[in-house]
Amino acid sequence: MNPLFMSLLLIVGLAIFGRTMVQKIQLLMALEPTDRVNHIMDRIKNVVIIALAQKRLVGRKKEWAAGIMHAFIFWGFCILLIRSLNLYGEGFVKGFQLPLFGDGSILGYLYIALKDVMEGIVLLMAVYAIFRRAVLKPTRLHNTWEAYFVLGMIGVLMISDLLLDGARYNLIMLHNNPDHLHFFNNPQYGSEFLWTPVSVGAASLISGFSADANRLILTTMFWLHIITQLTFLNFLPLGKHFHVITALPNVFLKNLGYPHEKTKLLDLEDESVWEDESLGINHIHQLNWKQGLDLYTCTECGRCKEVCPTYTTDKPLNLHDFNDTLKAELFDNADNLIKRAKLAATIKEDGDPEQNEEIKAQMAELNSKKPLIGDVISEDTLWACTTCRACEQVCPVTIEHVPRIMAMRQGQSLMAGVYPQELNVALKGLERNGNPWGIGYDKRAEWADGLDVKTMADDADVDYLLWVGCAGSFDDRSKKVSKSLVKILQKANISFAILGKEEKCTGDFARRVGNEMMYQMMAQENIETLNNYKVKKIIAACPHCLNALKHEYPQMGGNYEVIHHTDFIDQLIKSGKITLTKSLEGALTYHDPCYLGRYNSIYDQPRSILEAISKDGLKELDRHGQESFCCGAGGGRMWMEETIGKRINVERSEEIAGQEVATVAVACPFCLTMIEDGMKELDKDEDIKTQDIAELVANNMA
Amino acid sequence: MKILTTAKKVVDVELTIHVENGAIVEDGLQYVINAWDENAVEAAVQLKENNGAETTLVSIGGSDNTDMIRKCYAMGIENGIHIDDPALDKADSFVFANVLQKVYEKGEYDLVITGKQAQDTDSGQTGIILAEGLGIPCVSNVIDIEVVDDQHVKVSRLGDAGTEIVEVELPAVVTVSDSINEPRLPAMRGIMMAKKKKIEVMDLAALGTSLDEVGGAALKSEVAEFMASESRQAGQKFEGDAAEITARVVDLLANEAKVL
Ligand code: SF4
Ligand code: SF4
Repeated sequence: MNPLFMSLLLIVGLAIFGRTMVQKIQLLMALEPTDRVNHIMDRIKNVVIIALAQKRLVGRKKEWAAGIMHAFIFWGFCILLIRSLNLYGEGFVKGFQLPLFGDGSILGYLYIALKDVMEGIVLLMAVYAIFRRAVLKPTRLHNTWEAYFVLGMIGVLMISDLLLDGARYNLIMLHNNPDHLHFFNNPQYGSEFLWTPVSVGAASLISGFSADANRLILTTMFWLHIITQLTFLNFLPLGKHFHVITALPNVFLKNLGYPHEKTKLLDLEDESVWEDESLGINHIHQLNWKQGLDLYTCTECGRCKEVCPTYTTDKPLNLHDFNDTLKAELFDNADNLIKRAKLAATIKEDGDPEQNEEIKAQMAELNSKKPLIGDVISEDTLWACTTCRACEQVCPVTIEHVPRIMAMRQGQSLMAGVYPQELNVALKGLERNGNPWGIGYDKRAEWADGLDVKTMADDADVDYLLWVGCAGSFDDRSKKVSKSLVKILQKANISFAILGKEEKCTGDFARRVGNEMMYQMMAQENIETLNNYKVKKIIAACPHCLNALKHEYPQMGGNYEVIHHTDFIDQLIKSGKITLTKSLEGALTYHDPCYLGRYNSIYDQPRSILEAISKDGLKELDRHGQESFCCGAGGGRMWMEETIGKRINVERSEEIAGQEVATVAVACPFCLTMIEDGMKELDKDEDIKTQDIAELVANNMA
Repeated sequence: MKILTTAKKVVDVELTIHVENGAIVEDGLQYVINAWDENAVEAAVQLKENNGAETTLVSIGGSDNTDMIRKCYAMGIENGIHIDDPALDKADSFVFANVLQKVYEKGEYDLVITGKQAQDTDSGQTGIILAEGLGIPCVSNVIDIEVVDDQHVKVSRLGDAGTEIVEVELPAVVTVSDSINEPRLPAMRGIMMAKKKKIEVMDLAALGTSLDEVGGAALKSEVAEFMASESRQAGQKFEGDAAEITARVVDLLANEAKVL
C-alpha cells in the first residue's frame, strides 16, 4: 500500500514496544532466582491444556458463558496472527500472499474461511463482554475504563478487517475492479468470497457506496487496522492486559509436581542471613522472578477472591488488591531494583570482605523504602489466609499466591518477630512436647490403650507405620477417629505399628505460619526417628501430616511412601480385605479437605467409599471437589483467633445445613473440629452428624 | 535502674512423673524454664523496654541451663550469669537464696524479680529469704510493677482479700504471680543472634564464696522420699432416661460410695 508509511508505523510501534519489554524483562531479571525450565514436555502439556485449550475458563461450569467468551476471543486472536502478517506484507507489496497460505493452496482457503468466521464470533463476544460488564455486572469484576477501552479496540480490529474485506468484495464484484489486492480466484476452489460469508455480509452494508467511496473505505480500514493493532500491542504491557503477552509463558513456567512452589528449605544456621535480615519476603526485591511474572500476568478477573474463604467472609484479604498493590510496589521500585541487582553481581565470594560489605551497604540503600508487611500489605491481610489454595486452583493463568504469602509470614515470624501472639501457646507446646496442645509427650499413645496396637519400639518389623498426628493423639473427638482406623486396619489384618510417644507434630502448622525454625526442628526429629526404624510406608490419618510427610520431608532427607487413610481404606475395599454394608441411613454429603483435595488430588477415593456405605447416595455440596470451600483451620488458622467478619466454619456449615443431610463426612481432624463446631453454632449438631470417613467405615463393616 | 531476675530449670509438669523406690524416674523427663520465672523475665524485659532498665538474669544449675539462658536473651535480657557448681546439686531454697545474695552483692542491683515459686518444689521461699538476707523489702505474689522514680516502685499484689497496692523503696525483691503478664516467645532472630552472646559462667569459688558459706555443707532441709500422687480414677457416664439415671446415681452414692 505504502511501504514508507508502513515502515514508519512498524518502526515506531515496535521500537516503543521493544523498549517497554526490555524494561519489564530487566526488572524480572533483577529479582531472586528460581528454577523453572526443567521437564519441557510437561510444561508444553500445561500450555496446551491450561492456556491453549483454556481449561480453567471453559471447564468451569459455574461461569461457562464467560469462559466461552474469553476462549473465543483468545482463539480468534491466535488465528488472526497469520492474517496480520499478511496485512503487514500487503503494506509493502501489493497483493502480498504468505507462502503456503496463498492462492492455489487449500490451506489458504481454509484459513481465510476460518479467519472470517472467527472475526464474526470475536466481534459478537466483544459485544457480549461489554454487555456483561455494563449490564450483568458480575461482582468479582471491577469495572475500569481500561477494560472497556481494550474491548473497544478488539471491536475496532474486527470491524476494520471485515470492512476491509467487504470493500474489496464490492470493488471486485460490483465495480469490476480486479486489480485489487489479495484476491484468491483459483479454478479449483473458486473465488475467495465463496469462503467468507461474514465479509460478504459486511460488504452488503457498504454496497450502496460508489467505487471511490469503497476504495476510500478500503484504505482507511487497512490503516485503521494496522494502527489499532500497534496501539493495542503497546497498550498491553501497561496494565492488566499484559496477560495477553505473559499468560502463555506464565503457564509454561508454572510449578510442576506439586501444585505450587514448595517452601524453600531455609539455611537457618547461616549467621549472615540473620544479620542481613534476608529470610522470607519483606521487601519487594525478595520476590523471585516467577513471582514477578505472576504479578505482570494477573488479569484482575477476581476469580481468586470470589472463591477465597477469607474474602467471602469479609476479611481484609482481597487477592486482587493484594496483587495490584505488590505490582505497583514492584514498578515503583523498578529502577532501584535493577541497580541493586547490578551491584549484587559485583559481590565476589572470594573478594575483599570489606569491599563486599561496602557493596552490601549500598544495596541496602536501594531496598524499597517501605517494608511490605505493615506498610504495603496489612498484617490482618497477611495472617487471614488459610493456605487453602482455592485461589490458585481457579486462577486461569496459574498464579501462585500461597508460597508468596508463606514467605511473607517467614519474614514476619523469623525476622521481625511480629505475628499473632495467640500462636505462642501452640508454638510453645510444639517446642516442649511436640504437639500444639502442649500436653505431655508421654501421653501421646494413651488413646490406644487396650486396643492392642504395637509401637515401633515394640516391633518395627511391620508393613505400615500408622501416623496418627497430634489431633488423633490428643483431641478427644479425633481420638475416636484413630480408634476407628485401628479397628479397620485390624479387621483387614494389616501389619502396622505406631510411633507412640516418639511421634511429634510434623511441624506443618509451624511452617504455614512462617516459623521455619520450629518446623525444621520437628521435621528433623521425626525424620531421625523414622529413618532409624527404616520406615518405608506410612498411612497418615491427617491430610496436613500427609502433605508434610510426602512433599516436604524429602527436602530434609525423609523419603517415604505416604498414603492417606481414605486412599488406603479405598484400596482395602477394592481388594476385598474389608466388606462394607450399605447401611448408612439418611442423606450424606462430603466436605473435601483442602490438603487432601487441592494439595494431593484425592477426590475420588473418599467418594467411592461413601457411595459404598450410603443407602441414599452421596449428595454433593455446591462448592465441592476442586472448588471445595475451606473449613477455616488450615495455614495455622486453627491456632489463631478469627475476630474479623463471619466465621469461615459457620459459612461452610450453613452451606452443608442447606443441603438437608443427616451426615457430613470429613477426612481431616481439623475439618472435623471446625464443621462440628459450626454445626453446634447453628444448633444443627443433633440433626447433622459430622463424622470422619474412618468412623463411617468402622461402623458399617460387615 | 538495674534489675536482677532469676530462672530455675524445672521438670516439665505436663509429663507424668513416675516414682520408683522413693526416687523420681529421670528417664523420659524433660526440663523447661519455671513458668513463674518466665513471668519474672518478661516483667524485667518490659521494664527495660518501657523504663530503660538494664536487665541481668541469673540461673543456678548444670551446663544444660545454657539453652534456657539463651532463650531469655532472645526474650530481651541483656546479661546472663550462670552459677554452675556440682556442689549445689542438692541445694534447697535457703542455699539458693544465699548464692543469689552473693550474685546480688557483686552487681548492686535496684530490683530483684523472681517467680513467686518454682513448679517443681512449690516452696516459694527463695525470693523471700533473699530479701531477708539482704535486709531489703520484699513483696510477694505481685501482679503489676510500676516505676515511680529512681528510688521507688509501686507494685500490686494479690492478697487474700483483694489486690493490695504497695509502694516500696528500692532496692527490693518482688516475686511475681503468673497473672502479671503473658511471656513472649523468644524471637527467632533473637535466638540466633543470642548464640554468640557471652554468658558469665561461675562456680562458687569464682563467685567468691564456698559451699560452707552459702549453707550447702549442712543443709537445713533434705528430700527424704518422693511419692507419686494418686491419679484420679476415670468417672462414670450415664446416658438415657433422666429418672432412671437419677435413681441409679442415688443408689451408687448411697451403697457404693457411701456418701449418702
Ligand atoms: S490472580 Fe488469577 S484469578 Fe486472581 S485476579 Fe489475577 S488472574 Fe484472576
Ligand atoms: S489460599 Fe485460600 S485463604 Fe489463602 S488467599 Fe487463597 S483462597 Fe484465600
